[in-house]
Amino acid sequence: MANTITLKRRIGSVKNTRQITKAMELVAASKMRKAQEYALAGRTYREFAYSLLTRLSAITEVGEHPLFVIRPVKKRMYIVITSNGTLAGAYNANIIRMLTRAFIADDKAGIKGHVIAVGKQGAKFARRVPQIDLLAAYTEIPDHPTANDIRPILNTAIEMYRDKTVDDVQVLYTQFKSNLVQEATALSLLPARFDSTDEAENSLNNTTFEPSIEVVLDNVTERLLEVQVWQALLESLASEHSMRMVAMKNATDNAGDLIDDLTLAFNTARQAAITQELAEITGGAEAIQQ
Amino acid sequence: MIKFQLVSLGGVKFDEDVYEVILPTLDGQIGVMPGHMPLISAATHGAISVRRKSTDRDDMMEYFAISGGVIEVANNTLRVLVDEADHAEEINEAEAQKAMERAQQMKREAKDQVSLEHAQTLIDRSTVRLQVAGLKRRRTRG
Repeated sequence: MANTITLKRRIGSVKNTRQITKAMELVAASKMRKAQEYALAGRTYREFAYSLLTRLSAITEVGEHPLFVIRPVKKRMYIVITSNGTLAGAYNANIIRMLTRAFIADDKAGIKGHVIAVGKQGAKFARRVPQIDLLAAYTEIPDHPTANDIRPILNTAIEMYRDKTVDDVQVLYTQFKSNLVQEATALSLLPARFDSTDEAENSLNNTTFEPSIEVVLDNVTERLLEVQVWQALLESLASEHSMRMVAMKNATDNAGDLIDDLTLAFNTARQAAITQELAEITGGAEAIQQ
Repeated sequence: MIKFQLVSLGGVKFDEDVYEVILPTLDGQIGVMPGHMPLISAATHGAISVRRKSTDRDDMMEYFAISGGVIEVANNTLRVLVDEADHAEEINEAEAQKAMERAQQMKREAKDQVSLEHAQTLIDRSTVRLQVAGLKRRRTRG
């Protein structure tokens, strides 16, 4: 009898867990849809921005702009985009593994690495590892970020690049390819560089710059870098919710399987108990008759 | 007609052929009409005014509040990239007024340069929104 009671309790607790994971799955699904819409909406901007910056970089003056100058890399900055919450499958692990590998490779090449962490999980990891110099941690990024949320991150990166504290800035984020495929990706943010050549015929040679090419370039470059960070952040958010949804769906399915197994065990145990009781009763009755 | 594309971080806000667009740039307002020369310029915070047809009167123009961005004119296409753009119809004047008061409060209480700049950015943004909301109100009355 004790066995059936324990089984019953376990079934109850697994059912509760399933309810929770199911709810988390639904929440993640709705958040993912929103983040996805947001990320897709931003793609047009990014494409325009990228194309403009590509064409700007084709003009000779661009190469002399402080943000375009390529220096030998001695110090590198990583902007690492992770989540605040856990239970999102391999979302944070993928990014952290990427960061670790990059650090090891940099170490061999004699490059010193600095980290700006976005999200609590990345910050937690960076604090735990003594080799990582954590410059700043941004853990208050809302679900629907605006340009204001990423400006301080970008300003730090640009400032440190300008005063040559770092020679290279990489953004490690998760690219949202589809509901099922998300990929940890490194985006090279600074120096601003572009390898596209197919837009050569659409060059800016006849274009007027107001008020001056320097001011325009400054404005355009910083703004467009901002877009890249913003986009990386949104893709990461969409990926996070998507991965959490899949993880929670798996957890819900597993809980269901577990409930089935436990119910079967419970029924077997109950039937065994009934059979045993019947055997005892018939045994008792026969003993009385004799 | 000139193709006018207004693209914000949140998506494409406007993509139609229009007659004239007036934009706020660092050097002052500029008007862009069909056949404008190739130009790249930096937009500042202010209102974008759009005249759809040459026969439209001033009070039929449409307005967007922007907080700065990049302007590109090429091949009879005007492309404006802004991080945020609010159509006049989307702005609630009472809310904008409250946001303005909050921003001014923040500016008074700002302790360091960073929060001061942040407050000033918010004030600039609210100013533009209020300005655009005012333009809308005048139009509705007229």
